[in-house]
Amino acid sequence: MILRKAFFLILILLFFVIPLTALLLQSLSAPWRFHTGQGIDWGWQGYSTLFENPQLWEATFISIWIGFAVLFINVTLGLFTGKALASYPYRGKAWLEALLLSPILIPSLAIAMGLHLFMIRIGLADTFWGVLLIHLVPTVPYSIKIFHNSYQQIGKTMMEQPHILGAGFWTQVFTVELPLLKPAIRSLTFLTIVISLSQYAITALIGGGRVLTLPLVFFPFLENANTSIMAAFSIWFALIPVFMYIIIESLMMFLPYSRLPWRNHR
Amino acid sequence: MTQTKLEMKNITKTFNQDTILNDLTFHLEKGEIMSIVGPSGSGKTTLLRILAGLEKPTEGEIIMNGKEITKQKANRRSISLVFQQPLLFPHMTVKENIDYGAKVSKKYKAEKIESLLEATGMARFRDHYPSEISGGQQQRTALARAMATEPEVILFDEPFSSLDPSLRQDLRYWVRDFLASRETTAVFVTHDMEEAMIMGDQIAVFENGKFQQIGTVETLHQSPANMRVASFLGGHLILNDHEFVPLHAVQLGSQKTSENGVSFHASVEHITYQHGRPIVHLYIRELEKKISLPINESLPKQEVQVTIPCDSIKTFSGEIL
Amino acid sequence: MKLFKNRTFLLFLPVAIFLMIPFYGFIHAVIQSLGGEGLAHYEEILSSERFLSSVWFSVRTAGIATLVSIILGLGFTKFFHPLLTNISPRLMVWIPMLFPHFVWGYMVILMLSETGWLPQILAAAGWLETPSNFPVWTRDPEGIGIIITYVWKEVPLVILLLFPVYASIRPEYYALVDSLGGNAWHRFTTVDLPHLLPVLVETFLIIFSFTLAAYEVPALIGTTFPEMISVLGYEWFYGSSWDDRPLAFAAMVMTSLFLLGLTLMSYYGLSRPRWRAMRGDRQ
Repeated sequence: MILRKAFFLILILLFFVIPLTALLLQSLSAPWRFHTGQGIDWGWQGYSTLFENPQLWEATFISIWIGFAVLFINVTLGLFTGKALASYPYRGKAWLEALLLSPILIPSLAIAMGLHLFMIRIGLADTFWGVLLIHLVPTVPYSIKIFHNSYQQIGKTMMEQPHILGAGFWTQVFTVELPLLKPAIRSLTFLTIVISLSQYAITALIGGGRVLTLPLVFFPFLENANTSIMAAFSIWFALIPVFMYIIIESLMMFLPYSRLPWRNHR
Repeated sequence: MTQTKLEMKNITKTFNQDTILNDLTFHLEKGEIMSIVGPSGSGKTTLLRILAGLEKPTEGEIIMNGKEITKQKANRRSISLVFQQPLLFPHMTVKENIDYGAKVSKKYKAEKIESLLEATGMARFRDHYPSEISGGQQQRTALARAMATEPEVILFDEPFSSLDPSLRQDLRYWVRDFLASRETTAVFVTHDMEEAMIMGDQIAVFENGKFQQIGTVETLHQSPANMRVASFLGGHLILNDHEFVPLHAVQLGSQKTSENGVSFHASVEHITYQHGRPIVHLYIRELEKKISLPINESLPKQEVQVTIPCDSIKTFSGEIL
Repeated sequence: MKLFKNRTFLLFLPVAIFLMIPFYGFIHAVIQSLGGEGLAHYEEILSSERFLSSVWFSVRTAGIATLVSIILGLGFTKFFHPLLTNISPRLMVWIPMLFPHFVWGYMVILMLSETGWLPQILAAAGWLETPSNFPVWTRDPEGIGIIITYVWKEVPLVILLLFPVYASIRPEYYALVDSLGGNAWHRFTTVDLPHLLPVLVETFLIIFSFTLAAYEVPALIGTTFPEMISVLGYEWFYGSSWDDRPLAFAAMVMTSLFLLGLTLMSYYGLSRPRWRAMRGDRQ
């Protein structure tokens, strides 16, 4: 067991912790030239150059807004569908699940290409809303899966309790379901936001380059920015989900019956 | 004056061609407690779920206080259901759980919650979370939560079966007194005849989708409607499809004890003790029946003679009510 | 139909509306790939050397990346799942999931390209004469960079999906196999595999469809020949002449149909009662 633990730690350090640390260090120092015998030249230049770029801030705000909107719609859709899937047994449920999973199995590029003309026709191409809609495609199936599992874990009979006691649909959602779904919402926050931040091709296609999200700034940056700036940019990508997670976590404290850290019950 | 609180008329429920409930009819007076007893898997839970509004009957109607409520949703019915599992909300404390029932049914009064906490003995644990209290305490909290909605009828679905036996015994009496003191109308489902007798003013024997008989304990024992009821009660020796003998009339001996009677050969299978008395378990080969009788002294013999006086043989009443 | 009478219908309504987006998109992709000329565009791409080598390269690269991710993820979860019950090791395993795929791809370039950290360190340590002696693992014709990026990113996802399954397997089952005289292989095939198989199949489908058709990582870390199908499709779509657009549609539609066929086959296999029972479905 001790050997296993040591092995585990080595693997985790080697493949997950050290790369992240190295990226962090690189973002805080000038590009490395170890083979020439140079040491590390610390500094904030990576970040300061990055933040001087006005496009970065615009893209950050747009990405965050899209992220929140995508998350909100995902939670709503996931909640309804997960609940429907968990509480009603059907024949052919496996097929229904396959159907709901299909948007992430069909290449999103194919879907975006197919929607392109339609988006132009109804005026959603090159707009925030068009990009928002196309970002739903690779995220919603995950949300449904996560919420479905959570509802199954909570159990059908537990879900009947509020109903029997006299709660209406929305009262039940806010007082019982959402509080019990908190872990699912946490996973969902990270998952949807990271997926949304990962979309270059479909965002460029539907947004037409006019809806500026972070990936659209990142790719051109690759051409001429040095490694420090790019490392800083990479870290910036990871900070956004963390930042949005903090917001979501604080919002969830407003859900009824939250155990607030500063309030001691007993 | 009594008034009919809850009435069920010709309720039928079919599911994939199986008839689970077949033309059920009964009524309850205000403050009356009825036990429904039957073997596991006989559809008792479905019956309760239909009463509570969680499922819809295929046919028939439910009437409460003279108004039809068959189509009303569960959250609009003044009926509460306590399950086998306590199913408390894990993210709420004991008090919050009880409050919840009162709040969502818009019947919140601080004093009422306090009295429920006192009555269930949970006042001391008001700020505990469900995971921090015992199974019995959880079930009491669940009951308090159900009572907080001030239901006109409360339904119980084997609420004690997940508890250990000693706790179960205490809780049975406690719930019974609790309901009686509040004159709450209740339906109590169980597969345990003893529990049914403790909890109910009336007992309905339910099997094969039908009420085999509804009546008081005395009626059931004195004139069981049919074989099924008698075999479920376990207090009779069933001779054939329409005749039975109460066990207390059965005589034991090494020879036939009465001239004017029927006699069977029986083998002694076991002797156990119950309530301080020896009980002999016999197998009557001729009838393919097993019976258990209290005896005064130990029977040394392997083989005995069972005698049934002719005048104690009765026929099944055949009457459901 | 009963479905439409009750609340279920209302609960499924939002997702039904949502599903119109991908399905409408897909159907229009099909229509535009035909372009009123029958299967002409399909014939054209199927006789194109560039397309065929791209298909082979994509399937091979995505297949290797998916299988390696699943094998490593499965091994890691099987071996270490008791250690993953604590929150902090779990968070460390999730680190790559915080980054978009292309950012992690950039990370691979930072580390493994000819001027990357690893060649530099190896050179500084004297194991390599110059960093450029390091093998070409990024922007290489074999797709090694793409595979490394995907494996690194997807192994945590595999762990994430398999961990709950392993946590739910009751240890009594292993004891049972042991008491019946089974060895480690028996334990894996009779206890682990039946629990895992549905999840494994689904994980394979999710990762394979993604790696086969995603644009960002191959665009960043791949070469121009051979290229992944998505890169080719994107180029055709945005190419200099509009005549290539139907080709882009045809290429993407064929990829989709291939993936859909694969999915249908897998689900057909999984919908057999034996697997349904293992998924815990009652109906």
